[in-house]
Amino acid sequence: MKTHLRRTPMDRSVDMSADMPVDIQMDRRKFLKQVSLWSAGTLLIPPVFDTTPEVLAGSALTPDILVTKGKDYPAMTRKIVDAAGGMDKFVSPGDRVVIKPNIGWDRNVTQGANTHPAIVSTLAVLALEAGAAKVMVFDRTCNEERRCYQNSGIKPALEEMKDRRVSCTYVDDRKFVPITIKQGKSLKEWSFYKDALEADCYINVPVAKHHSSSGLSMGLKNAMGVIGGWRGKIHYNLSAKIADLNLVIRPDLTLVDATRVITRNGPSGGSLDDVKQLDTIIAGVDPIAVDAYTTTLFGLHPEDIGSTVEGFKRGLGQIDLDHCHIRMV
Amino acid sequence: MKSSSLQRNLWKQLRRFCQILGLVLFLVLFRLTDYGGSDTIPYAVNILFRVDPLVGACVTLAKMSFLYVLWPSLVLVVLTLVLGRFFCGWICPMGTLIDIASRGFLPYQKFNSRPWANLRFLKYGLLVLVLISSLFSLQLLGFVDPFALLVRGMAFGIDPLFNFFITGAFDKIYLSGPAWLSDLTEPVYGMLKSFVLPHKQSFFYLSSFSFLLVTGILALEIFGKRFWCRNLCPLGALLGLISKLSILKRTPVKACKGCRLCEIKCPMNAFETQTTSTPEPGTLETGTLETDTGDTRGRLMVEECTLCMDCIAYCPRGIAGFGFGLPGKPNPVDISRRQLLTAGVVGICLPGLSRTNALSKMPDNDLIRPPGAMAEQDFLATCVRCGECMKVCITNGLQPLGFEKGLEAMFTPKLVPRLGYCEFNCTLCAQVCPTQAIALLSTEKKKAFVMGKAWFDKNRCLPYAENKSCIVCEEHCPVHDKAIQFDVVMVAGAEGELYPLKQPRIIAERCIGCGICEHVCPVPGEAAIRVRGRGNRKNFSSGSGYP
Repeated sequence: MKTHLRRTPMDRSVDMSADMPVDIQMDRRKFLKQVSLWSAGTLLIPPVFDTTPEVLAGSALTPDILVTKGKDYPAMTRKIVDAAGGMDKFVSPGDRVVIKPNIGWDRNVTQGANTHPAIVSTLAVLALEAGAAKVMVFDRTCNEERRCYQNSGIKPALEEMKDRRVSCTYVDDRKFVPITIKQGKSLKEWSFYKDALEADCYINVPVAKHHSSSGLSMGLKNAMGVIGGWRGKIHYNLSAKIADLNLVIRPDLTLVDATRVITRNGPSGGSLDDVKQLDTIIAGVDPIAVDAYTTTLFGLHPEDIGSTVEGFKRGLGQIDLDHCHIRMV
Repeated sequence: MKSSSLQRNLWKQLRRFCQILGLVLFLVLFRLTDYGGSDTIPYAVNILFRVDPLVGACVTLAKMSFLYVLWPSLVLVVLTLVLGRFFCGWICPMGTLIDIASRGFLPYQKFNSRPWANLRFLKYGLLVLVLISSLFSLQLLGFVDPFALLVRGMAFGIDPLFNFFITGAFDKIYLSGPAWLSDLTEPVYGMLKSFVLPHKQSFFYLSSFSFLLVTGILALEIFGKRFWCRNLCPLGALLGLISKLSILKRTPVKACKGCRLCEIKCPMNAFETQTTSTPEPGTLETGTLETDTGDTRGRLMVEECTLCMDCIAYCPRGIAGFGFGLPGKPNPVDISRRQLLTAGVVGICLPGLSRTNALSKMPDNDLIRPPGAMAEQDFLATCVRCGECMKVCITNGLQPLGFEKGLEAMFTPKLVPRLGYCEFNCTLCAQVCPTQAIALLSTEKKKAFVMGKAWFDKNRCLPYAENKSCIVCEEHCPVHDKAIQFDVVMVAGAEGELYPLKQPRIIAERCIGCGICEHVCPVPGEAAIRVRGRGNRKNFSSGSGYP
């Protein structure tokens, strides 16, 4: 995620990507150095994630929201990434890319509890085409991990690519690093997955679905798959805590899978009676704007979802769809 | 029949090869007793228990009907009728491990000369005991069956320990070693994880006890070769009794006068010796009458011979061999009438004692048995405590019972949701159960099978006790519609301000007792939602105990 500090949402409206603020770069480097020192056992206090105010200016911007509809999910994925500027904009040759789907449940593709495998594997192909040295796909699951990876169709789809640069491995308990979230309001410290912190490019690919605690599970909620610890313990004041997690996990690109969505009994779902076919993919650089737009597909207002509101308050992005360029592609 | 020294050693080598093959097969099947990416395990990982005629006999007696899935045990019976007790010497993985362990104890062993060398009657006694108590529905097989002891020892003790040490070493290097070293070790670790190590560290109750039982059997070698096989193993006893009719025989039938090397060196001590045929003072009248008098010294007891073929190799005259022939005049089995009677009486008393145990008067049983498990009494009689279901359980939630439900329930599986829940779409435990004590249901039926019911402890549950939002249990509930629903109520905060709060409640008819709610409940220690077993499912009253 070196890029998320380099390419703030601001980049899209104000062209300053060419010469990024030096202090932001330094912060990012300092943080990653702390992470690696901590991992090596030489740093005894948890690394501190500190965000400069420039990065938290997302609420004042007018970001793009890209929307595509159709039946051919791989083609739609390609189209929407192209519309966002092409994968080259996010992935530089030699990058380590993390693609983070939702693989939380032992459910099959049609049940809609996990990200569609075709979208995940297409993103992996695009990242490789852009020159990625490594594409890592993982999620910390709720049901048993092997069953989730298998029955979501994501592991088989990636293994079918037979490319050594693509890995779909289970979460390694040794790789969680405790992080102090300096700007965190409700959550001050939690452990995060090292691969997610150190990624050069982080692509968030959640599935949109009903979620009883948080209203809907979309982009911001998906960050819960890269954190350690007893996740049940952060369900008190969940929305604020999800927003705090997203201070640390800042995707370069968010692609929301709304091809089929669970409308009730989420997040695990199970019955096809609750699954609605929307055949839609939403993408954007601004995670709040993307979640805000996705919310409308469920007949809700962006303000109905606590985590979107909290994220907006923290300056992670734009919640007001009137201030967004919604482009059908 | 004379044979060359090469030929003579060939048999011994062949036997060893078969033993190693059997052990490797056992270990491979053990590792394959796991989720492998498919809903079904395509291998007969429980085959060891299905070829075991002791399992067949005990389950048949307990159920008073033969289970067709145990047909492989009949194959072993037929093979034993032809080849004798070859299984013990050539295939049994426990026997092979004992042979390997025996090498460590060689300096301490004095072949067949100790007074405790001839406790052969014990195994017949144990056999009679387990068979009779099976008849009275008390299944004691788990305490004496070699495979039950071995698989449990492996699953609960050796395998978790093995993984703990190996991963511990690699983790130490990865976490605190220099980068260049972990760059070297991590690929090795990855290979081990793919092919040798279990998917995850497993945790079991009775870990040290199960471990000690198996290692204890191996340590018995200090008293003599194959101590377990010749003196204690009831499966060996059963196969021995069957082998009395076998047509493959060792020749000569007696050790030669003046040499007796085969008699002295026989690892099974299968030749009648002075010590065996001299009864203890006071037991003379019940002793095995024929052997007391006639010149039977040095005669081979067919039922004790495991056809290891060692004697072919070391016979100085090269005349020892094995050939087919009709069964000869059977020698009496080395157990006295009094010993037999004692075993029988104990075999009747133990089931009676388990019925008169206060536990059996308790009105209900709150154990969560695996999905598809028979009604409690049938389950206890049919389960052979092989440990396979607990080994295969994908969440490590199935755990062996200790003493808490009495001796008769020891080592049977229970779900401990705090450790692991029952995975909704998984039917592995039923697939590996060798005796159908856990019935194999279709996935749809399994999802509807009621193992227990969840209930809230509102004194602990956060939305009730502390007015905090939570409903993690509701999120995870896998049934449809969810068995946990919530009501949105307005509650007062610390400052008296009102805010909406989701309070969960159970829809009992929908709950299947999978325990995922209890597993994920964020309340520390005992969960605020707990699953209680389905009970004994007794629809009738016996007229005693509770009304």
